[in-house]
Amino acid sequence: MAFQMDRQLGFLSAVNVAVIVAGATLVGGSFVELYNFQSMASQVPELGFLALGVMLAMISGNGGIDLSGIALANLAGVAAYFLLRDVISADDAPLAFTWSFVGVALAIGLVGGMLNGFLIAQLGLTPIITTLGTQLLFTGLAVVLTNGSALSLGYVEPLDDFGNATILSVPQCFALFLAVAFGIGIVLRYTPFGHRLLLLGNNAKAARYAGIAEKRILFVTYTLCGLLASVAGIVIAARTSSVKWDYGTSYVLIAILIAVMAGVRPEGGYGRVICVVLSATSLQMLSSLFNFMNISNFFRDLAWGVLLLVFVATSGIDVRAWFRAARN
Amino acid sequence: MGGIMPDFRKIAACTVALSTVFGAAVATAEEKPSIVTVVKVTGENWFTRMEEGVAAYGNDNDTVSTSQIGPGKADAAQQARLIEDLVAKKVSAIAVVPMDAASLEGVLKRAAQRGIKVVTHEADSMKNTLVDIEAFENKAFGARFNEKIAECMGKSGKWTSFVGSLGSLTHVQWADGGAENAKKYPEMELVSEKNESFNDANRAYEKAREILRKYPDIKGFQGGSAIDVIGIGRAVEEAGLQDKTCVFGIGLPKDTGSYLESGAVDGISFWDPKDAGYVMNKVADMVIKGEEIKDGMNLGVPGYEKVSVKKGAGDGIIVVGEAWVDVDKSNYAKYPF
Repeated sequence: MAFQMDRQLGFLSAVNVAVIVAGATLVGGSFVELYNFQSMASQVPELGFLALGVMLAMISGNGGIDLSGIALANLAGVAAYFLLRDVISADDAPLAFTWSFVGVALAIGLVGGMLNGFLIAQLGLTPIITTLGTQLLFTGLAVVLTNGSALSLGYVEPLDDFGNATILSVPQCFALFLAVAFGIGIVLRYTPFGHRLLLLGNNAKAARYAGIAEKRILFVTYTLCGLLASVAGIVIAARTSSVKWDYGTSYVLIAILIAVMAGVRPEGGYGRVICVVLSATSLQMLSSLFNFMNISNFFRDLAWGVLLLVFVATSGIDVRAWFRAARN
Repeated sequence: MGGIMPDFRKIAACTVALSTVFGAAVATAEEKPSIVTVVKVTGENWFTRMEEGVAAYGNDNDTVSTSQIGPGKADAAQQARLIEDLVAKKVSAIAVVPMDAASLEGVLKRAAQRGIKVVTHEADSMKNTLVDIEAFENKAFGARFNEKIAECMGKSGKWTSFVGSLGSLTHVQWADGGAENAKKYPEMELVSEKNESFNDANRAYEKAREILRKYPDIKGFQGGSAIDVIGIGRAVEEAGLQDKTCVFGIGLPKDTGSYLESGAVDGISFWDPKDAGYVMNKVADMVIKGEEIKDGMNLGVPGYEKVSVKKGAGDGIIVVGEAWVDVDKSNYAKYPF
């Protein structure tokens, strides 16, 4: 299977270019400066990781969705800090602290994801209700651990670098996002697991008759979602130097918006990682452009709504056929 | 690849549309130092009132341009993203009312590294700020409530205090400040202090009813969260004790108006966000110009005529005013929030 340039991908790439061009003409130099690109890029991963999770859940079909992402991300950060703050001193051993923080956060993401996977795959519960429930559970745990207040991590150099520093001019957290996205893309396209997941989402009945282990695939998928959420949690902790239970409560819907804009089919069976990446970057650039131009945040919400509708609407119209007809 | 062609047309159309819509915004862009005030959330009465102060400073001083922005949803993440973009845009100064101080430390540090001046309001634990502005000293604010209660109840009798929660530092400081002040009056007796309302008017109401049953002769109530007086007022009104009790606390004129009218609540205090907005921009402007803010200085805004300056949590300073506004039945209607 070779790399394909489909309509969605072409459109999304063009939107990215258009936003940059619009920024350069409307705002001028400061928008197309390297610093701004780095700033925008480092804002992408928080949402991007969650959107990748939503994509995987959607592909799995049967109304697949993960609403618990941001709650699990926050819980991973909160719990990791809570468990480690008395064990390893961030001041004396910053590197050890950072790696343990990452390890514990990932472990919590894994467990949270497995819980979702178990409920959905083994008990056959509806994903939207299940993840809504676990969302409340994860949030509740994080509140109990912190009493509702934010915990400040202070300045932990390696963690702070991960959130803010660059490698070859690319923000580290964005580089990780690209690497993880690439990995998931490979898995979906070239591995038996990816093929089975897509087939399952496309036609669950056929997949079952074909002898695909439906439960195991669903379980692994939601576990992956949990892992991705905890990576988002690590990024948040690194970028804000703090952990809190209610950070990013507005992300649930934005992550879904990114996935849908990327052409991931909500009924399951189709979704391209590169489209999710481009969808996330275009949304980020558009939102930054609005901020540069002092445009109200309410207008931004409105614009995203319009954009979503435009995407949904145009995907149903065969523009090429229309142009062909017009030419003849 | 055939699909690309129409896409370009679509994009061209999008670009044209974007340009027309936003063209106007660019036309007004100017080179003056810009101070951007970032509030917790847009569209709330409190911050709408603050924006009046922000705009007023811009109108009074044509050497700077001022503006206020805030997320459409009260989410610390959205606020951080807004500031992130301001840092990239390289405005001259950012004045923030943090949703959550801890989560903004990172981005405000990056702002400082870019040479952007940062001032904050209601964030005395913030490290990465040059100047934090507080409307008043919390202990003194609490003592002030108590002084009014004491006067109203004739300096003798039982009284109690409410807090939003024991975790809300400022509320506890107000209650303690009140209790300390009451020691001056030996005949005043503090009973069942620091009742938690959890920022819920119904909880405050139930608590107040409980207290009225337990201490039928109670005379004074001091509210901590802005909704405490509403709950207490309702309980007092139902018990028909408007004339026998003294209820004072922090509150907002619009919300508390009907209880002030009935006499169930005797007086409320607050600070005017308009003045706070004005002062934040004034201080940011002074920092841009490199002027020092000294102890006892007059910032030219009511309540900030003689500010005290102390060391902040980081390298910056904390500027404290005496900017409380007290209102009662006679004048609450002057404040539209």
